[in-house]
Amino acid sequence: MEGEREVMDVAIEAGHILLENGAEIFRVEETIYRISRHYGIESSNAFTLSNGIFVTADSVGKEPFAKILHVPVGSAHLDRVAAVNQLSREIEEGKFTVSQAREELERIRKMPGKTYRVQVLAAALGSAGFAYIYGGGVTDALAASIAGAILYIYILYVSRPHLSKMVGSITGGMVATLASMLIYTLGLGEQLDYIVIGAVVSLIPGVAFTNAIRDITDENYLAGVVRMLDALLVFFCIAIGVGVVYAVARQLAGGVRL
Amino acid sequence: MNLAGQILAAVMGTVGFSVMFSVPREYYPLCGFVGGAGWLVYCLVLPYTSTAEATLAGTVLVVFFSRLFAVRRKCPVTLFLIPGIIPLVPGGGVYWTAYYIVTEQMDLASQKGFEAVKIAVAIVLGIVFVFQVPQRVFRIGTKGRETGKTRQEPKQP
Repeated sequence: MEGEREVMDVAIEAGHILLENGAEIFRVEETIYRISRHYGIESSNAFTLSNGIFVTADSVGKEPFAKILHVPVGSAHLDRVAAVNQLSREIEEGKFTVSQAREELERIRKMPGKTYRVQVLAAALGSAGFAYIYGGGVTDALAASIAGAILYIYILYVSRPHLSKMVGSITGGMVATLASMLIYTLGLGEQLDYIVIGAVVSLIPGVAFTNAIRDITDENYLAGVVRMLDALLVFFCIAIGVGVVYAVARQLAGGVRL
Repeated sequence: MNLAGQILAAVMGTVGFSVMFSVPREYYPLCGFVGGAGWLVYCLVLPYTSTAEATLAGTVLVVFFSRLFAVRRKCPVTLFLIPGIIPLVPGGGVYWTAYYIVTEQMDLASQKGFEAVKIAVAIVLGIVFVFQVPQRVFRIGTKGRETGKTRQEPKQP
């Protein structure tokens, strides 16, 4: 029989991976609770914030257990959320011992992300699609896809590894707008507005916004409000980035239609 | 409005986001379907109502299909919901607000900004209400494929 500590470590690691990769608070707490209960710990308690997990267990006759985990939220890897979800389901069906579960979690944590090339292509595809649905034409979509790809390369190599979220979003908005203006000036695309709208789309905080609503609905107000603030802040920063470039272009006047 | 082109673009955009969020590859078609279906309803409803109401209609469909697929495929609803909702998020509204502020057209800026807020509220309402639909509704027709015991979550998929 495994010790309490081993069981709790597995449960917490599952919760950690979920929270880090874009799961709702409810799912994190429920998974920790279900895994620990399956392995015989009825007394576990988990409290989760948008960037931290607090867990305790205090079974009769055993050492009390407590852990606080700081979880900086990274970019969303929903495949890992799905994998942990599946693992938790299979643990409850009795298919895993504690040490097997730990190995499986290690494998999930190391699941390879998409290569940069695929991600940039996906951003280009997304930008083209959104430039078109927000009202642009086919040439605008084409221009937006190039600008969107340039923005995503900037995100991958500069803003994500080196910049804070706010500065990354502001400068991201600037890069997307500048790239769009450049492509527009070179003669591709007809309406600059829709090119820019398409280009910035990969900055939109879709994960934070959707999860914030889900968390608030589940009455996890604290985490939900923090995530909503995060989403609004990013929206605001993108707008500042776009606005700054337009304002400067307007001062320099004449170069680009405004 | 070229409806077929609109839907195609929405599907493309949604799949693009699915890749960026690392959704498992086997779910790309379902994600595209969710995003396309939501946008189709938005486009069909829009001529008769406001953008906020059309967004609400689109969101209801997006959440409905996300939950349906999550239950049927036994995976987190997040996989479909996050990429699928993105076409409806008021990205355009935020852009126009910023644009009108910079060009000092404050009337238009506040109008667009307020509209973006209304759209966001519509999305919130759509998500909140469709998540209240009991889980078993989405199980209809799956006869005994799953008992309550092995379910991942009692409240939501």
